[in-house]
Formats: sequence, C-alpha cells, structure tokens
Amino acid sequence: MERTGAIEKQSMVRLENIKKSFDVSGKSVEVIGGIDLDIEKNEFVVLFGAGQCGKTTLLKMIAGLEDITKGTVYIDGKKSSGFHPGVGMVYQTTSLFPWLTVMGNVEFGPKARGIKKEERRKKAQYYIDLVGLHGFEKHYPVKLSGGMCQRVGIARAYCNDPDIILMDEPFGHLDAQTRYMMEEEVEKIWAKEKRTVIFVTNNIEEALYLADRIIILTECPAVVAKEYRIDLPRPRSMVSEEFLALREEISQLVDIPRESEEKAV
Amino acid sequence: MGAVIKTKKTQTVLMGTLGILVFLAVWQIAVLVTRFGTIFPTPFEVLSGMAKAVVEPIGKTTLLGHVGISLSRVLVGYILSSIAGALVGLVMGASKLGKAVLNPIFNIIKPIPGIAWIPLAILWFGTGNTTIYFIIFVGGFAQMVMNTMAGAENVSQELIGVARVLGLKKNRIFLTIVLPSCVPYIFSGLQVSLSTSWMAVLAAEMITATSGCGWLILSGMQSGNMVNNVMGMISIGIVGLVLASFMRIMERRLCSWKERGQ
Amino acid sequence: MSEIKVSVDNLTKSFGDLLVLDRISFSVNRGEFLCIVGPTGCGKTTFLNSLTKILEADSGTIRIDGEEVDPKKHNLAYILQEYSTLPWLNVEENIAYGLKIKGTDPKTIKERVDEAVEMVNMQEFRKFYPKELSASMLQRVVIARAFSTQPDLLLMDEPYGQLDLNLKYKLEDELLKLWEKTKTTVIFITHNIEEAVYLSDRILVLTNKPTHVKTELINELPRPRKVADKEFVSLRNKVTDLIRWW
Repeated sequence: MERTGAIEKQSMVRLENIKKSFDVSGKSVEVIGGIDLDIEKNEFVVLFGAGQCGKTTLLKMIAGLEDITKGTVYIDGKKSSGFHPGVGMVYQTTSLFPWLTVMGNVEFGPKARGIKKEERRKKAQYYIDLVGLHGFEKHYPVKLSGGMCQRVGIARAYCNDPDIILMDEPFGHLDAQTRYMMEEEVEKIWAKEKRTVIFVTNNIEEALYLADRIIILTECPAVVAKEYRIDLPRPRSMVSEEFLALREEISQLVDIPRESEEKAV
Repeated sequence: MGAVIKTKKTQTVLMGTLGILVFLAVWQIAVLVTRFGTIFPTPFEVLSGMAKAVVEPIGKTTLLGHVGISLSRVLVGYILSSIAGALVGLVMGASKLGKAVLNPIFNIIKPIPGIAWIPLAILWFGTGNTTIYFIIFVGGFAQMVMNTMAGAENVSQELIGVARVLGLKKNRIFLTIVLPSCVPYIFSGLQVSLSTSWMAVLAAEMITATSGCGWLILSGMQSGNMVNNVMGMISIGIVGLVLASFMRIMERRLCSWKERGQ
Repeated sequence: MSEIKVSVDNLTKSFGDLLVLDRISFSVNRGEFLCIVGPTGCGKTTFLNSLTKILEADSGTIRIDGEEVDPKKHNLAYILQEYSTLPWLNVEENIAYGLKIKGTDPKTIKERVDEAVEMVNMQEFRKFYPKELSASMLQRVVIARAFSTQPDLLLMDEPYGQLDLNLKYKLEDELLKLWEKTKTTVIFITHNIEEAVYLSDRILVLTNKPTHVKTELINELPRPRKVADKEFVSLRNKVTDLIRWW
C-alpha cells in the first residue's frame, strides 16, 4: 500500500449539507445546521469551536456511530452510511478495552477483521513502537498514565490501516505539558504515516500547531463560520510571532478575548 | 523498604496468633469456671477429638470424609447454579425481551431463601443427594443472576461503538465485549453465592442427610456429643475460609486487568 | 511591600525509600501572587498536601506571620481542580458556608456574601443550586467563597486545568481583579507555563522527583499582560526551558 506524502487533489471526505437534530424532551433541537466540507487526501483538518455541541457529533456521523438526520457523507468518492472500514477513531477519554493488554487493544481491529495472528502481531508491534510504547505490550490500561493510554488509542486506530483518522479531543484531559508532548507526537506520526486526519479541539494552540486547515464552527446549531489555511512551516513554534498573531485573531473570532486585549481594541 | 514490609507481615501474623490464643484461653476458662462446662467441652477436648476423628469414623465415615461429602455436594450444586445463574443473568442483562419476560417471576422467587424450598424439594426428589443439590442450587442462583445481569447491563455502549468502528461484526459483540465486561461482576456473584451455597448445604444436611458436616453438627447435638457438634462447626469455618481465599486468588488471576498499582 | 507572610523551610517528605520532597524552602510576601510550576509528575500533590498539612511532612516548618502554621489559628483557603461546592446549598449558602464554619457573626456573613457575590458577578444566580450552574460558574462560587473568608493564604491547585481556553482567560482575569482588590496572598500551582507567566509576581520552578526548588524568577511584566508581547514570550520560553521534558 503506497502512501505518498503530498496532499492530492482528490476529496477523501466530502460532507454535503449535513444536518443533525436530537430529540430533547419531545422537542427537536438542531445541533448541526447544514455543513458542507471537502477534505483532501492526507490533509490535517481541525474542527475548532468554543461550543459544546456539533463537533463530536459530526465526527461520530462520519464514523457511523450516529445517524445522519439529513445530508450525505462521501468517503473516497462513494456515499457512506454506517461503519466504514476506511475510518478509524481516537476518542476523548480512555476508550481502551480494560480487559485487554496494550497489544490486545492495538491488534483488536485486525483481529476483528480476521487477519492472521502472526501478521497482525507484527503490525501491532510496529505501531506500538511508533507511539513509543515498546516494552509496555503486556500492560493493562489501568497501569498506564493518561498520556500513555492516548498513545495506545492512536496506535490502535492506525493499526487498522484506515485512510481517515478521526480524533475527538484526544488530549482534553491531559495536563498542559503532557499535552504539548502528545501534540508533537501526533504531528511526528502523521508526518511519517500520512493519513487524512480530522481533529476536534477547543484549544486554539493545539489547532494551530497541528492543522493544515482550521474549520471554525459556530455554537449550536453548528455551521462553518470561517476557514483558515495554516501555511506555517512544520514543526511549528507556539511562540513565533505569526503563530501568536493567528492565535489572537482566531480567539477573538470565537469567543470573549482577554480583558487586556479587549481594552486594546 | 522490603524489610519494613516483612516486619509488618510478621507483626500481623503474631497479632493474629495472639488473638486466637486469647480466644482459646477465654473458652478454656469459661468452661472450667462457669456453668458452661456442664454441657460444653474445652478447646483441648475438641482438638483432640478432631485429631481422633480424622482416623476413627463417626457414623459412616471419618471427619475428613464428612467434610469431603459436604464439599462435593456443594460443588455439584454450586457449579450448576453458577452456570445456570450466569446464563439467565446474561440473557436478562443483554436482551430487553429476556428481561421483560423473566424479571417479574425472578423478583418473586429472589427473596425466597434456599431453605424454604426444603419441604418441596423432599417432596419432589426424596431424601437423597438430589434434594441437597437442589437446595444449594436455589441458594446461589439468585445472587448469580443479579450480579451477572448488572454486569451485562452496565457494558459500556461507548466500547461497543469503539469495537464496531474497528470493524467488529455485530454478532461478535457479545463474546468479545459483553462477556469480558461481565467477568468482574460474575466473580462477585460467584463469591457471594459460594458462601450461601455453603450455608445451604448445612441446612439441607441437617434435615435430610446421614453424613456431612451438617449431619455431624445435628447428630452431635441430638446424641449429647458436643465435641462432635463443635468439631463440625470448626470444620465448616476452616473449609469456608479456604474456599473464600481460593476465590480471591482466582479473581486476582482472572481480573488482573482491574488492579491498579505499580 | 516585601514583608514575608508565609515561609516554608526545608519541607521534606518521603514514602518509604522514595524521597518525594527534598528540602523545599521558599517564602511568599504579603499580598504576593506566587505561581509554582514543575514538570508533570513532580510530586505536586504531595507538595500541596504537605503544605496544607493533610500529610504530615517528615521535617521542615511552615510559618505564617512568623508562627508555625495552625489551621485553627490561621485562615487558609483552598481552591482545587474539582469544584468543591456543596450540592444541597445554593450559591449564597455555599459562599456563607466558609464563613459559618469560621464562626463569623451573621451580620458580617451577610455583608461579606453580598460583597463576594457582586465581585464574581453572580447577583442573578444567588438562589441557584450547583447542579443548575455551568463549570465556570461553579468555579466562581468556589472563588467567591475562598475570598470572602479573607484568608491569610489562598492556595490554588490548577483550578482552570479542564476549562475551555477562552473561559480560562476570562476567569484568570477575574481572579486577578479580585486579588488586586483584596491583596490576598496567593500560591497558585499549575502545569501551564503561559498561565504562570500571565498571573504571577514571581514564579517558583520545581524539579522532578525528588522535588526541590530549581530556581525563582521575578515576573515584573506590567499588567494587563499580553501573551504575544516579546517580553512575555521570552519569559515563557525561559520557564519552558527550565522544565521542558517532553
């Protein structure tokens, strides 16, 4: 399976007028109000917004975990409904299978798809090594730190050979420093193993550090408010002038700025 | 630090031994000094009685024989009730239809203690081992069902989603996700039901058997042989302790993924 | 200005063979905002628990106004990551609770609660119960409760760790305002370097375990601070270099 590094001009994920409503005590509440999006192959797209609703639901719809109220999802040019073998996901909290070891978790996907033990072990080992967990293969998730658990989650998603990886605020519960480390890690892995990534976060630093393109969503119902193409060279510095300027600009766009900045305006 | 832990362990053992010795001393004094002694043996008498009973039969068999008989009865009833209880629990926990059908009748049967079934069981199965198995079976069954059901109901829907995204087929969710999630619950069911089973065997033996620890206790009382009576009780205590420890070790083995620590 | 309010000398704590805190010494001036940062896993919890006497330290002293710290005599307030409001009390009762257990008279309680509610802009929510409030509002209640007792020392343990960035900025600004108004002595522990640079008068940098004080940096950037300013970035980089492990 040849994977080229460059972004190709073919749309990998295409969302067409996606809408989602939930029934809340008899009333229909719209959380996503018509989203159109084209994501290219091997692009790193960040869905960013301050609101609580919409972003995760959108990912879940792409993954097949949530019904689509209206609209169509195309994956690799074909209409998709339900679970798609080309889609992998990394979750918010630790979603590891607690009764399986690190190895058991990482090889879960290939095993579920009936790949022979020898082959899947080799592959799982490759990804375990890639996320820096060599030596922890036999550990159970309870014995791992939060950062390590998320590494396992990343390796597990990659090990299933998806073309598209969805990441749903994977580092929201980590402390600031571990978070920096994981962001660097994700970028390194992505540089080495190019995939189409859709990453949800409400942390602007994280968004700017990782994204080729930031899609800013509004609060309920979520629609695309603005898009930013981020062309800063990688790996990025979080304290470079351009980075901080962009950060300030986008922060102001989505929510209340710091008081000092408010006065400055 | 290793040394510290070691001294702590020795200390615990010492304290425990001390506790047992004090208890025996109080017993001895109570028997010698108070009116207890007219009907009650001293600890020494009981211990020597036990030593003797290991080689000389009481009734049909020796002390160890009686323990063995009780134990084998428990195991048969317990294993059957565990399997049946786990299966029913899984059905009730994993299928809404199953729960709707079974829950009302189960809730009525649940509060009836195992020993309440003794008359019916004798009527149905006579006074043989089958009756005893049955009493043990109903003694542990409800606990197993409740625990397993709780486990199956609490399976994380998120994890099922995770597995589905990873490509797991729908028909394999039960074996791959539901069952392992239930293991800790099944284990706590097994532990509780083991102690109820052990109680149930005694009650059943007291009423319908001519061997086993329950018979030993009752016949000891009826023939005025309190040594036999107390011997039976102590055997029960020791066997119960051994069984509980065995279960704990098994749990640690099988549910090691739940244990925190270094 | 530089009157010492709190002084910690040679605070040491070990668990068995494992030395966690290694002779930590520092002091905090009256009305100072001290931030403490350290690498992830630097024994922060042990440090905090020893400081608050939840854990008995092996050796070392903690003095407030020159006297050995005594929870009965000194008024210490904590704000932790969990929003420790009492669910069966409404906002004003929650705020009053801190004063009540200190034995304040009812009239003063009323005055202080009014003042505190106003300071955190919660006038409309006085009668609300915690479950009706958002995370940031809960954190405001906790902050109002802490400040209303006029503590000798306010200890904060990463109170904004799990909040949205923008919300965090807002609460940080509110905190600074309260602090400037009350001139409370604050120790603020965090993993977030930018936050430390934004808030502090002085930054105490801790090492990895066994934890000791690596260095101290005076932070005299004028307030209100801007995260994109050159001086701000340079101080942030300096602290980052001191603790960077990732």
